[in-house]
Order: sequence, then structure tokens, then C-alpha cells
Amino acid sequence: MLRLIAWRLAAFVPTMIAASMVLFLAVNVVPGSAAKAALGIDATAQAIARFEHQHGLDRPLHVQYLDWLGRVVKGDFGVSFQNHVPVGPEVLSRLPITLELAALAFLIANLIALPLGAIAAFYHQRKPDTIITFGSTVLGAIPNFWLATLLILVFTLTLRWLPSGGFTPLFEDPARNLLKMAMPAVSLGVVSSALLLRIMRTAMIEVLSSDYIRTAFAKGATRNVVLWRHALRNALIPFLTVGAVEFGFLFGGVVIIEDIFLLPGIGSLVLVGIINRDYPVLLSSTLVITFVVLTANMLVDIAASLIDPRQVHAKAAT
Amino acid sequence: MSKGSGLGPWFGTTRRNFLRQSSALGLTLATGSLITASVRPAWAQGKPGGTLIAAFSADPAGFDPQRGPSGMSHVVIEQVYSTLMALDPDAKPYPELAESFEVSEDGLTYTFKLRQGVLFHNGDELTAEDVKFSFDRLRAPDSGYSYTAQVEDIASVDVVDPHTVQFKLKKRVGPFLIYMAFPGSSIVPKKVVESGHDLNAHPIGSGPFKFVSYQPRSAIKFERNEKYFEVGKPYFDAMEYRIIADITALTNAVMSGEVNFSNEIPPKDWAQITANPELAGVTLEGSRYNWLLPNNAKVPLDNPKVRQAVAVALDREALVQGAFFGLATPILGGVVPQWNWGYADIQYFKPKGDPEKAKQLLAEAGFPDGFETTMTIASSFPAQMAMAPIIQANLAAVGIKAKIGTMEIPRYWDEVWSTSNFDITTMYWLSPLADPDDFLTNNYKCGMAINVQKYCSTKMDDLLEKAKIAPTQDERKAAYHEVAQTSLDEMGQVPLVNGWLLIAHSTKLQNYKPMRTGFLKTLKDAWFEG
Repeated sequence: MLRLIAWRLAAFVPTMIAASMVLFLAVNVVPGSAAKAALGIDATAQAIARFEHQHGLDRPLHVQYLDWLGRVVKGDFGVSFQNHVPVGPEVLSRLPITLELAALAFLIANLIALPLGAIAAFYHQRKPDTIITFGSTVLGAIPNFWLATLLILVFTLTLRWLPSGGFTPLFEDPARNLLKMAMPAVSLGVVSSALLLRIMRTAMIEVLSSDYIRTAFAKGATRNVVLWRHALRNALIPFLTVGAVEFGFLFGGVVIIEDIFLLPGIGSLVLVGIINRDYPVLLSSTLVITFVVLTANMLVDIAASLIDPRQVHAKAAT
Repeated sequence: MSKGSGLGPWFGTTRRNFLRQSSALGLTLATGSLITASVRPAWAQGKPGGTLIAAFSADPAGFDPQRGPSGMSHVVIEQVYSTLMALDPDAKPYPELAESFEVSEDGLTYTFKLRQGVLFHNGDELTAEDVKFSFDRLRAPDSGYSYTAQVEDIASVDVVDPHTVQFKLKKRVGPFLIYMAFPGSSIVPKKVVESGHDLNAHPIGSGPFKFVSYQPRSAIKFERNEKYFEVGKPYFDAMEYRIIADITALTNAVMSGEVNFSNEIPPKDWAQITANPELAGVTLEGSRYNWLLPNNAKVPLDNPKVRQAVAVALDREALVQGAFFGLATPILGGVVPQWNWGYADIQYFKPKGDPEKAKQLLAEAGFPDGFETTMTIASSFPAQMAMAPIIQANLAAVGIKAKIGTMEIPRYWDEVWSTSNFDITTMYWLSPLADPDDFLTNNYKCGMAINVQKYCSTKMDDLLEKAKIAPTQDERKAAYHEVAQTSLDEMGQVPLVNGWLLIAHSTKLQNYKPMRTGFLKTLKDAWFEG
């Protein structure tokens, strides 16, 4: 077990470095100039040259990368090209907001996917299964930004029940925080639940047809006990692995959703970073997202091993 | 306040005062005598309290008047600092920190008498030393100031006594008093800056609101300056500027009452705003020029007749209806709008276009069958995108086949705009200065950064200079008439429409006077009722 954790941690560092390289390259090969985006419509050639020199953008790419990486390792994320504010503290203050949003959305996705997936599997190829599968196909096809706009139209502009957006810190006013998080979390979570539901259903169908389930029924266990205690735990293993990937997708989804609901998280920071070609902002925010997603994957791998000891031996052997 | 239809009742009575005051100003400038503070408009007493929450789409780039180059920085700077002069809603200058000023006969010396007892937010008194310091800072060779053109003709700034400061100019500068009202010309506290304080992060001025905090890309907070020199003002206890990058989300925030003010409502959402009983919608013509740029350096657009043909072929009424939902004024002659003193009353374009004349001009230029060209549009600007197909259809009707290409804005700046790599493009610009020189010189003078259409005319350059330095406003007006005529004869760029400022606010907001410059200085005069 410890070996597995050590092995996972050791692999984490080169993965992060590889990801940072890809990010840096991607940001730099995107067409458009940071200087021209920052200086605007009436920028003179001299002003552009001065800007690029000031920010070291006139150096070779590998020099820029190593310089950037060196500073990031020391915790210096640079200063925004647009508003000249240090990016590090901003990213840190935004991270909890995105984490909360992703966690709530993930929770909603699971609350929908787990029971419905299990029920669909239990009624495999019967009416409830058909209805649930059909519903999940529809949900999976809905773009989350469309659902977000629809929710605003209904709950803010028509019914006037919920605020159109903005953020209240959780510890300042938990009720208001949840009120403002409700629509963004639902629009992300509902759409995400579709894939999870299908995975849950498939895993559950497989488990339900196995011998030990039949044995459990034969021993006289009730339907609920078999379904929720015996079957669910085993079906959770493939579900968890996919769940970790889906959590990563959720982090991608926050880019647009945070912008629509005016949540000052990492996602909206990525968006302004792209729009303005604000390299320090874009690199820092995407790097932090990469870090969170990789960490989540690592934790899930470890958690999956805890649930299924066989994987410890399988992975340690590789 | 009448919704969605013009300026609201305050203009009825007070506008006359403005006109009277400003004509007095024009007269005094011409004769070189003393102006007193009596020109400052006096408003009815308001009701204190409340927090104004305004929405903006852009993030500011710092709050030091010397370093904050963006329009969003300026709407913060104008609340926190004060300037020697200020602009009234119709963009006419009146003394603000100055109590009075005097202009010498030759127009080269401006002497400002300062108000006494004006305090910076840290409690220090504002004196002539601070004024000198502020301008010397902007004029320093390595200042990095984005608007050096406004201060480059200042020869010296001298302290006469603690409350008198004298500017000596290298040459006559027509818009000098307007420059003195520009947010970049804000007076900063000398002692504070010299002590190493970073105004860019935490501005300290003498304006109606004190800066409280800035949360990047999210919000800027202000509180009332209790010791503001206009006693009793401002009326709000606090202000908050929310930054909402997505323009539809911005409208939603206004519609749901999350924010109670915005001057960035997109035309597409205007009908929703005016239908909302809790919101007042105010439209105002400012100087948000939309223009078509023919590349003057490329065949066949290097031919003035071809450019004229393009210009007269366009149906500006259709642009107003199709791209601005009726919320714009077609530009039918020179670009200076009718509300501005520099307006030249020339009806050159027919509102619906003149395809016959366009064809005739094309034939005269040697292109009787038209020609093929391309039009590159920045996709991030909805109005530009909406205008493109209308322009394309108008051009097609006279035989010019224009292929539309679109590009995301950072790429557009890099690959199209800054390199002049286009046949035709379109763009808009909100001129932050009320003086005609601002827009005209930037766009028509040879070699200016914004003159990407590469229009170069010695005649135009000379006329622009003449108009800028002419001694009286009447002489300047006459010169701008010549500028307008030349701009149409040579058609270096094609004026299209002037998009209105679209402002929405809670009906509780009283006595708010929208400014033609798009600035928000007059928020200090407004209050909440009920």
C-alpha cells in the first residue's frame, strides 16, 4: 500500500513538469500578441517593443520557459499583463471558489447518477431502465452553458427566486453562498451526471449478474441490502475511476459556467487570460487546474485500491 | 425619467444654464480675461445614503493617473482624484480644483487660481506644488504616460504662490482646458508619491470618493469622501464597481437588480431594459464612432474615387437598424457629431446610400464592373459583425464583391490591425475627449498609431494643425469645417454611424446626468430616492 502511494507520488512530479511544458507551448503557439492585446487599439510600435522587452517576451521560448518554471517552483506566478496585480495570490484566493463549485457539482452529479444508475441496472431492460437511460442521453446531450442560460431565464429573470450571479464567501454567509452556487452547480452537475449514470448502470449490471449476488439473494437478503450493501460497493470501483476523470472535465466546464454566473473562480480567470493573451494569468490558472485534476486522479487511484485490495498488488507489480 | 427616449427632464432646465455658461467661457477664452468659479453648475439638494453598484465589462489596469492607460482605469481615477478643470455633461470645461483661471492674450500662458482648503484623502492640503508635481511627472521623458500628446506642448509649470499655478505653453493648444479635465491630468499628492507610495495599487486623491479596495477582475469599492470640497456631496455612502466580462451576464445583473447602474448595455438588450418597470433607460449620443477603413496603400483602394464609391454605396439607415437596433445616428458628413461645437453641417451621404453615384465614381476610377476585395472583421465586437453583411450587400449592389473574413480580437490586433494587413476592415472608438482634435488627429493625421488605413495627406495634416492652434473657438470651428470637407474629398476612411451611449439604472436614482464623453464624474451629483 505504502509502496503504491510512494510510486504514485514519484510519478506525479514528472507528470506535472510534462504538463507545464505542454501548457507553456500551447499558450505561446496560440496566435495573437500579448503586448498588442494589453496595449490596445492605439499602441505604437515602440510601446509594443518596450512592453515585450519589459516582460521578457523577446527572449527565446526555452529561456522563457525555464525562467517561468524556476519562478513558479519558488511560488512566484508573475504579474498580470493587464492589471499589473501579482497572479499568485489571486489564483489562491480564487481556487477555493472553483473547488467548492466543482465539489457541489460533483455531489449533485453523484446524487443523480448513483441511485438512478443502480435502479436502472436493477430493472435492466425494463421500463424504469428505458426511462432513465433515455433521460441520461438527453442530459448528456445538453451543453452546460445552455442549461445555465435557461436556469437564469427561469429562476432569475422570470421567477426572481435566485440571484443572477456573484459570490458570497461560504464562511461569511453559508445560506447566501449556497443560494448563489445553486444554479452554477446544477448546470454543471446535471450535465455531468449523464456519463456517471451510464457507468454506474453498466458496472451495476455486471455486478448484479455475478454469483455472489445470487448467493446473497439465496441467503434471503432483502433487495435493498443486496443492492446497496453488496452490489454498490463493488460497482463503485470502475465508477470511481471514471468519476475522477469526470471531475477533471468538470474543472474544464467551470471556465464558461463561472463566467456566466460571475463567480470569481479559476475558470473565469482562464477565460480572461485567453481573451487578453495575459500569459502569466493563463499559465498560472491552467497550471493550478492541472495540479488539482492530477491530484484528484492520484487520490482516486489510491482510494480505489483501498476499496479493492487486488489493485494494490496489480499496480505494485507493474 | 422618460424611458429609452433621450435625456430626461434635468436637461430641460439646466441645459440652458450650461449653454449660457459655456458661451461665456468661449468668449473669455477669446478675450483673455478672468473666469470665476460662478460657472460651476449648482444643483438642488439631494438625499444622502445608499450604495451605488455599477457594472462594467473591463478590468482596470491600475489607478495611477500616469500609468493607468485604459478607459476602465479612468472611470475609477475620475472618482478618486480631482482635476484643474472638469467637463459638464455636454463636455464643456468648467473650473474644478481651479477657482478661476486666466489666459494670456497670446494663449501661451494659463494661470490657475486654486480653491483653498481642498484636502487629499490622507488629510494633506492640495496646493500648487502638487499641481506642478503632477504635470512634471507626466512630462518626464521616461514617464510611460499613454497620453503624452496632451502634455508635450507644456513648456513649464510654475508655482506662483501656494494657491496659484502657471502653465507656459510652447504653442497655442486649442483643447488645453479639455486636457486639464482629462482623468490622466488628475492632481496627485506630491508628498505621498515621493514617499514611495504606489498609487497604481492604492490611489489617493481629493475626489468625491475614497478608494477602498480592488479585487482583480471582480470589484472595486469606494466610500464617500466626507471632506470633499463640494460640501454635502457626494450623496452615496459608498460605490461599488462590479466587473462582469460577459455582456449578457451584465445585462442579467442589471435586470435582476443585482447592480443598479450600467452604461454598457448592449443594443440587443435595450428593449428588455426599457420594458422593466424598475429600470430607467437613458440614451445619449456621444462619440462612439464606427468607421470603415479602406487600406489607402492597396490597389484599387488607393484611389480616392474608389474609396468615395465605397463610402456612398452604403445604406447607413440599414446599419443603424440592423446592427444597432435603431440606437445610433448615421454619420452623413464629417465625423464630428452635431452636439459638438466642431460640427460641420455637410450632408455628403444619403441616409439610404446612393448606388448610382457609387457606380459612376467606380466608372470614373476605371472600374466600371467593380472589383473583388476582402473585408476582415474582429469577431469579438457584435456591432462590427452585424454591420459586415450589410456592408457586403451594399457593396455587391454596385459591383464590389467583398469576401468577409473574421478573426478573434487578440489575433486581429496582431495580424490585421497593427500590420495594416487588410483590404477593408471596420472598427469603433469611443473618443474620451470632447475636443474634435482628439478623434480627427488620431485618425486622419499621417503616421498616427490608429491611422492603420495609412491615409496620408499634407493638406489634411496642415488643416488639423491649423484647427488645433487657432486662437478662438469660431476660428477653430471654421477650420474643422475645412477638415470635414477634405476628409470627404479624400475619403481616407469611411465614417459609418455614431453608436449611442446606452445607460440603465434603477428608477430610484435621481439627478443623474449622463455625460457625452462616457465618463461618470456626475455620479457625485446623483442620489437615491426612497
